[in-house]
Amino acid sequence: MGQHDKFDAIIAGAGHNGLTTACYLAKAGLKVLVVEKNDWIGGASVSRSLHDGWTYSNCSYVCSLLRREIVRDLELPRFGLQVIPYEGGASFTPDGDYFAYYSDHDALRREMFRHSPADVDAYERFSQTVIRQCRFIRPFLLRNAPDPSSLRPRDLNELLFLLKKAHGLGARELGETLRFWTMSIGDFLDEHFESDLIKAHIAGAGIIGTGLGVYSPGTAYVLLHHYMGDVDGSIGAWGFARGGMGAIANALGACLEEAGGTIVTGSGVDEFLVKDGRITGVALENGDTYEAPIVASNMDVKRTFLEHTEEKHLPEDFTRAVKRFKIRGSSGKLNIALDALPEFPAAPKGAPFLRGDMHCSQSLNELERAYDDWKEGRWSQQPYFDMLIPSQIDPTMAPPGKHMMTVFVQYAPYDLEVNGIRSGENWNDETRKQFADCVFDKIEIAMPDIRKHVLHAEIRTPWDIENEVGLTEGNIFQGELTFDQLLFNRPVPGYSQYRTPIDGMYLVGSSAHPGGGVMAAPGANAAREILRNVGKGNLMPSHAA
Amino acid sequence: MTVSATYDVLVIGGGHNGLTAAATLAKKGKSVCVIEKSEQLGGMAREVAHLLYNLHPKVVRELGLKGLADGKPLATVSLVEDGKHVEIAGDTVRFADGTTHPDAVAYVELTSRLKKFAALLGQLSSHSPPKLDGGLTSLATLGELAGLAKLGLNLKLLGKKDMNEFLRVILTNAYDLVLDEMPDGPLAGALCADAVRGNYVGPRSPGTVFNLMYRLGQGGEAYLPKGGMEAVVCAFESAARTAGAEVRTGQGVKRILVEDDKATGVELEDGTHIAARTVMASTGPQAVMQMAGVEHFDVEAARRIRNTRCKGTVAKLSLVLKDAPSIVGLSREQMRSRFLIAPSAAVVERSFNPAKYNELPAAPVIEAVILTPSDPDLAAKGQHILSLNVQHIPHTPEGGWDEAKRQQVIDTVVAQLEVYMPGVSASIERADLLTPADIEELTGAPGGHWHHAEMGVDQILTVRPVNGLAHYGFAVQGLYLCGASAHPGGDVTGLPGRNSAIQLLKDGVLS
Amino acid sequence: MNQLPTAVPIGVIPTPLQTRLEDLSTAKSWTNWAGFISPLVLDTVEFEYFAIRNQSTLFDISPMHKYRVTGPDALRVVNRMVTRDVSRMRDNRVGYALWCDEEGMVIDDGTVFRFSDSDFRICCQETMHSWILDTAWGFDVDIVDESHQVAGVSLQGPTTFSLLSDAGLTVAGALKPFDMAEVEPGLWISRTGFTGDLGYELWTSWDKIAELWDRLWAAGDHWGLRAIGYEALNICRIEAGFIAAGIDFQPVHTAMRLHRGRSPIELGFEKLVHFDKGHFNGRRALLKQKDAGPRHVLRKIDLAGFKPADGALLYYKKKKEVGHVTSGVWSPTTKRNIALAEFKAPYGYSITDDLWAEIYVFEEGVWDKRLVPVTFEDKPFFINDRSRATPPRPF
Repeated sequence: MGQHDKFDAIIAGAGHNGLTTACYLAKAGLKVLVVEKNDWIGGASVSRSLHDGWTYSNCSYVCSLLRREIVRDLELPRFGLQVIPYEGGASFTPDGDYFAYYSDHDALRREMFRHSPADVDAYERFSQTVIRQCRFIRPFLLRNAPDPSSLRPRDLNELLFLLKKAHGLGARELGETLRFWTMSIGDFLDEHFESDLIKAHIAGAGIIGTGLGVYSPGTAYVLLHHYMGDVDGSIGAWGFARGGMGAIANALGACLEEAGGTIVTGSGVDEFLVKDGRITGVALENGDTYEAPIVASNMDVKRTFLEHTEEKHLPEDFTRAVKRFKIRGSSGKLNIALDALPEFPAAPKGAPFLRGDMHCSQSLNELERAYDDWKEGRWSQQPYFDMLIPSQIDPTMAPPGKHMMTVFVQYAPYDLEVNGIRSGENWNDETRKQFADCVFDKIEIAMPDIRKHVLHAEIRTPWDIENEVGLTEGNIFQGELTFDQLLFNRPVPGYSQYRTPIDGMYLVGSSAHPGGGVMAAPGANAAREILRNVGKGNLMPSHAA
Repeated sequence: MTVSATYDVLVIGGGHNGLTAAATLAKKGKSVCVIEKSEQLGGMAREVAHLLYNLHPKVVRELGLKGLADGKPLATVSLVEDGKHVEIAGDTVRFADGTTHPDAVAYVELTSRLKKFAALLGQLSSHSPPKLDGGLTSLATLGELAGLAKLGLNLKLLGKKDMNEFLRVILTNAYDLVLDEMPDGPLAGALCADAVRGNYVGPRSPGTVFNLMYRLGQGGEAYLPKGGMEAVVCAFESAARTAGAEVRTGQGVKRILVEDDKATGVELEDGTHIAARTVMASTGPQAVMQMAGVEHFDVEAARRIRNTRCKGTVAKLSLVLKDAPSIVGLSREQMRSRFLIAPSAAVVERSFNPAKYNELPAAPVIEAVILTPSDPDLAAKGQHILSLNVQHIPHTPEGGWDEAKRQQVIDTVVAQLEVYMPGVSASIERADLLTPADIEELTGAPGGHWHHAEMGVDQILTVRPVNGLAHYGFAVQGLYLCGASAHPGGDVTGLPGRNSAIQLLKDGVLS
Repeated sequence: MNQLPTAVPIGVIPTPLQTRLEDLSTAKSWTNWAGFISPLVLDTVEFEYFAIRNQSTLFDISPMHKYRVTGPDALRVVNRMVTRDVSRMRDNRVGYALWCDEEGMVIDDGTVFRFSDSDFRICCQETMHSWILDTAWGFDVDIVDESHQVAGVSLQGPTTFSLLSDAGLTVAGALKPFDMAEVEPGLWISRTGFTGDLGYELWTSWDKIAELWDRLWAAGDHWGLRAIGYEALNICRIEAGFIAAGIDFQPVHTAMRLHRGRSPIELGFEKLVHFDKGHFNGRRALLKQKDAGPRHVLRKIDLAGFKPADGALLYYKKKKEVGHVTSGVWSPTTKRNIALAEFKAPYGYSITDDLWAEIYVFEEGVWDKRLVPVTFEDKPFFINDRSRATPPRPF
């Protein structure tokens, strides 16, 4: 690739956000290079073939949050992206029953009635609150977070936008909003529902990817973070990317290629090169160097600044703030090749809820205890999991008659405690297997014969995710979604707008506002900032402008 | 039914907030009567609190309270098994043996920052929370906004760096905040213990930094007033009486009388009706709603009120000792300290875990103080009283309270004490335990909660105790909430009572 | 392992009358009503409409939500919930009522059946179980969702009393409008309906309703009995000036957008808000609104021209947009172009002249826009003595 050693902009890391930034910049006419340490692109949006004939979405596994403005701007469907909504979900119980979340509203009401008549209407009230909150928050996703300590016109403008939106709520709703943003998902659900099983079914969305328990204040917001997506305008709907989550990265890659951008894989950034407080380019691990006046890092804020930037270029306060940025690994993953669809003794054959997210958690207390285990450096003895078999809908994921199952597991610590010592090094084949066994034991609630169908299982711990994908501590959001790390606090106060202390250097990953999930909003927002700074703000396509 | 005199204001509950409200209104020439169910005034301040630390200077000034919190504050000693206890006296942090503590500077930096923030927040505590009726920009709220704007202005005066820090930490958790500045140990444990005191949280729960700031609202110093909390209650009572308020004890209120959507008095448990133009209540919101009748509350308000989070987590244990207690490694002078058994932040979190499942903690966080040095009359000659607040005792453990479980709590606490006070168990003459359930029974505090309602960030300011009823006025015209469940919240501050009285006057319901 | 759970049905399910309706349906035009299969049109809208106004018609109202409130505090709970004073209702009476949230916005409207001061039924369009439970918190009552136990048919039209007599139910003749009576064990008749015409609603248990249908059907031949679907009924309810939840107002609990709720005052039902009965939900907010004046006003309007105005925007002086038509039809009986319309106050409230409706008409491949003048109607569009006469005239 040596022929281009000078670019207009370099993106470090080919995750979905880095690629999104690259696409927008390339479409605006910049000469763009993306460098990626792995031999493949996608970061955590990948499809990998680790067992012959099977495709694993081995990190992120479902799609909803990807902003439709971005899909439209970058014409991703033309580059092969298809998102197929899935059909509900279920939580199974040890006594052979289940709670099914049907997409059919009437069926859902009947199912809730079967479990708890008082919860049927309560669900409507719950939905109304959540949808109202989603409607409130969504306009902020593709905007900059205002810096409240700044008096710059743009910050005041953004602040005004926020105030106007808040004003529009009226006193009552504003109060409800303040409460919603600060309360725990557990308390929120307790205020609405009686059935433990229904509460447990919904609560997962309040903790996925976080180092918080269902009763930790702030988790109601996390639920919102998972609900504010949509599949074709249907708020809260989730779907599979056909061909696995890699389809998103591949579509972005193809878009970038058409726009004239370049991707170099196989060697990551060793160092961000800085001269006189200005970025000048990157040096790769393989010794290659590339120059550009603009460099954007798709890596998380800790990795970017604590490992690949010389400390002397950074203000002390900034480094301190980055060091204390909370980015905790709390989840693991099992990617499983199955020789057939396992039996679900409780469910009618072909029930639609099997083609959705499946769980075996029974109560909020069980989930909270799972969190207590994690705080002590253990994996949860009764883990929460989010389990899907996408091959029922997407035939490209497994050979005919066979299936692919993805199991997102929480909680699993990054620094596993063994004999009083907490360290990521404690994750080895043996502890990994024990962890997987614990998960399989619980999956048997839904699928008693699961073990006999397993042809291959990839077991991923936070430690593995960090080592392979490069996400610090294996945190899927590149940083906890707590208020001290959201909006103008993300990633660190004073640097919430994709800029960094180094001129020309930007942060475009999920460490930046509005945070994690395969949303691509940080990437698009960062691109808008970059283009504005180089006087090309007018070249930002209108939908995400 | 007998009807007695008509008052301007009837105050239900003679806790310190009820007395403050009564004193404030009586000073304005209103005829006020306080009605207390038990024979003694003081409520939680008498039965549960053993130290004074957040009394608001405005209340002290306005009520003319004297000699309560102007002595020498108590030092805090955070105990640790290896004997390297940490002593915190104001901004002096060192090991109890006088040697330098490596994290002293970090501690002072952190706490002075938090105190600065707390002072800023404190500006909101002596007013009604901002009203947002009609949205943020309507004319009606301009006055309300002025208060907020002042806060905003003061925020800006903090400087960009502090302002950023304030906005970052305001909703976050104490555990991370503290451990970002110092390694885990007794000093971090002490801060985390103060951050969770009285609340149903562990230090890892977001919102605990706010709790810590609240605790540091008046600088954080704790006082053991001469005469104990009894003296504090007497001071409030005397302020109310001096101002002309009538005080009746031993009279429970059965219901609050409401006519044509206005509070008109109360009916006592003996059937007596007392007429009044307004009624204030310092009990919890749910009790007030039920006394007035749920039918006077909108369905949503009733739902919010019964969903108020108020799980009490503190048990009070009084140990009567026949020997003067001593702690290995502490001087006699140092025994006049506030002791914390919270050897690390992790321990504080672990103390909370079982409470979530209504289980008893194996190693609860404890705040202890020996009352007798400052108040020898409390015990028989030669005896000593060790007063302990035991954190994270559930209101009702699985299966309910019984003698065995009560004994289990006492044994657990004594076993912990034994580590630091070898031989203490043999010295115990009597042990009096008040579980949160007992506290609820005794004082009417909802859930036996220290603050009548959890001081979570989802239950403060404009949503305390609940959204829509945050301005003391409690649905029915002339009915007011004046206890800890109202803004700004719990502790012996006097503010809810004072603010409520001022709001009542401002609303013009007496004119 | 226990026995397998029975999976709930997915999609719409039949009422006990579906087999009867299936046979009568030539149009095969169904809709989802609260999860049940319900006919939009069975045969022809026009014939069904004229049967309501000239003969007798049957409509399956079993999907209605029905809640029973019983116990010593039943009266207090119902009065806490609805804006009208149900203590003024006599036993065995039915009353139209609206109920509000704390901000005075209408949650739903429906009918309150007063059996006694300790026994009520609330019959409505929206699901209300949790809401009634919440309303009843702290009171001594039992709340039962009877929706799937009590079934009903609406028998409407000028010949319905004659038909009932032939069916052995002459006793219904004594019922005044909004009266009800248990005419046979387990069979209740109320003189109520959604058409503004003579008519009755007959209530019995889920398993007896088909039998009742057959009994009425057998007596109906001479009286021109037809089964009807919702579309014909809808024309009649607009003629009668009745509002429909989800059409003429957005039930506030189902509004995902803010500020879409409307108060009873704004919907024209101030007379059904009894401020003097003590507190009821939303009372304080409604008092405030009464002082401040409504933000919107729902009115009955008459439009020029012949083209139905459903969905039309309304203008003041042909320029300023001031509202929209919520329900509009050509009234075949009165030969008027009628509608219900929501105006932004003060339009339709203090400003009632120079108002125009913009009606779009699509005819054979061509869109045409017509601006037609709007006038107000205070009474129902369709009024006929027979709807009130007691005993009803044989017809």
